[in-house]
Amino acid sequence: MDWLYDIPRQYIIGLADEGVIHYTFLYAFVVNGFLCAFVVGPLLGGIGTMVVIKRMAFFSQAVGHAALTGVAIGVILGESYTAPYVSMFSFCILFGLFLNFSKNHTKMSSDTLIGVFLSISLAIGATALLWVSARVNTHILDTVMFGSILTVNDTDMNVLLVTAVLTALVALPLYNQMLLASLNPALAHVRGIKVHLLEYVFVLLVTILTVACVKIVGAILVEALLLIPAAAARNLNRSIRGFVIWSVIFSTASCLIGIYAPMRWDLPVPSGGAIILTAASIFLLTMVIRMAVPRFREAAL
Amino acid sequence: MQGPSIEFEHVGLTLGATSILEDINFSIAAGSIHCIIGANGGGKTSLVRSMLGQMPHSGRIAIHWHDNRVVGYVPQALDFDKTLPVTVNDFMGMTCQRRPVFLGISRARRREIDEVLDRMGLAGKGRYKLGNLSGGERQRVLFAQALIPEPALLVLDEPMTGLDVGGRDLLVGSIVEFAGAGGTVVWINHDIAQVNEIADTLTYVDRKVRLQGNAREVLRGGAAAGLFPSLELAGATTS
Repeated sequence: MDWLYDIPRQYIIGLADEGVIHYTFLYAFVVNGFLCAFVVGPLLGGIGTMVVIKRMAFFSQAVGHAALTGVAIGVILGESYTAPYVSMFSFCILFGLFLNFSKNHTKMSSDTLIGVFLSISLAIGATALLWVSARVNTHILDTVMFGSILTVNDTDMNVLLVTAVLTALVALPLYNQMLLASLNPALAHVRGIKVHLLEYVFVLLVTILTVACVKIVGAILVEALLLIPAAAARNLNRSIRGFVIWSVIFSTASCLIGIYAPMRWDLPVPSGGAIILTAASIFLLTMVIRMAVPRFREAAL
Repeated sequence: MQGPSIEFEHVGLTLGATSILEDINFSIAAGSIHCIIGANGGGKTSLVRSMLGQMPHSGRIAIHWHDNRVVGYVPQALDFDKTLPVTVNDFMGMTCQRRPVFLGISRARRREIDEVLDRMGLAGKGRYKLGNLSGGERQRVLFAQALIPEPALLVLDEPMTGLDVGGRDLLVGSIVEFAGAGGTVVWINHDIAQVNEIADTLTYVDRKVRLQGNAREVLRGGAAAGLFPSLELAGATTS
């Protein structure tokens, strides 16, 4: 699939070479980051709206932390320590499914249960990482935790693209059903919606998305990009249409600015941190707008 | 349109160590308005949810469908985060179309939605935020969604909660019209006077079936026995 990236990559590098855009784009890894941003932004922005509606922000954080354990397991099993995708996907999917299964089969509230699982995943991750730290350059682990576009290669982009296509193919036809199941499960059931199955599907989507975005945004921060743009969009909108569209715009803008700004102005900030700081700035701005402008204040009522 | 007939045979429901329903037997005729009444905690909602396949009941519940197998369900209330950015049109759209609501509602569906909202006295409120509506208006939206696509069976779980007199009349009119067109109605109702006025048959459930049959006859007998203190019926002795 490399040709797929080569065409836009060569075109953008050509533009930079001719001085049409900033010379930073002469570097292939910057262009890679930008191409990823155009996939990660809409994807996380769109799915983020459902995360907010379903109140699953805490869940995606737990999955993000589980990715650390996935990395450690990958290193132990001899996978490439720069891209241990098989271990990360496998462990995180098992973790997410087991968490959801436990939620469905216990009477515990989901925040308590997710809190327990989050702590367990962190403890296992920390222990396993300490164990493997002698075998790898521990700076690699920073990349997983906080993201780094410097290390994004064609394999990472392939993983991201396949995940994006899969997510779109599954989530778009099921969006209304997921929405209705969140608002009133009994009504959704009467409408022929398999509420529990949909829950598992959504958990799987959030899990594979989280893992696929680890290289760009980082395991610790990917949850924030699911949550913050959607929360910012919610500040200003009263319909699902506005909510989703603005969440996608905010998320994509955060990714583009977060990747470009540190390169352009030589800032010592990892891509994940810059992306989330941009998203947080947008969120703060929308909060101010909501408080100051009566038209938007009404959106929050 | 022809609604289904429904049969309950030896239906039971036990959750944990608690028996909710025991040996429930009755039937509902096609095209009738059947009310389920009883005290709080008597198992009315559990019975209806068993009928809808949402509870692990024992026994047999047979729904004898004709051509149309659509169920219109009106839950007791829409318990959701009222700050969510969901408009009335979003809610109506998500219940009756596959296209994600953020991509818009198809023209055909839009017409149907506008029409039922109009019938429910909610014309022009499609763009209102669902959380900003009054409780009564939200109940009317809940009723409206049950009418798209056209159902053969209407299942109503206390749909009148929070409605003013105008709203009640509107819903009652629609329910009677629906049954008049051949649809079957299963309705959990606490308003005994309304049951007496509208229902064809009723079942009084309190873990078991306590009373069952023609609504007016059952109510007259129940009133005479002092089961319905608030009900005054000609020829019945009320306590």
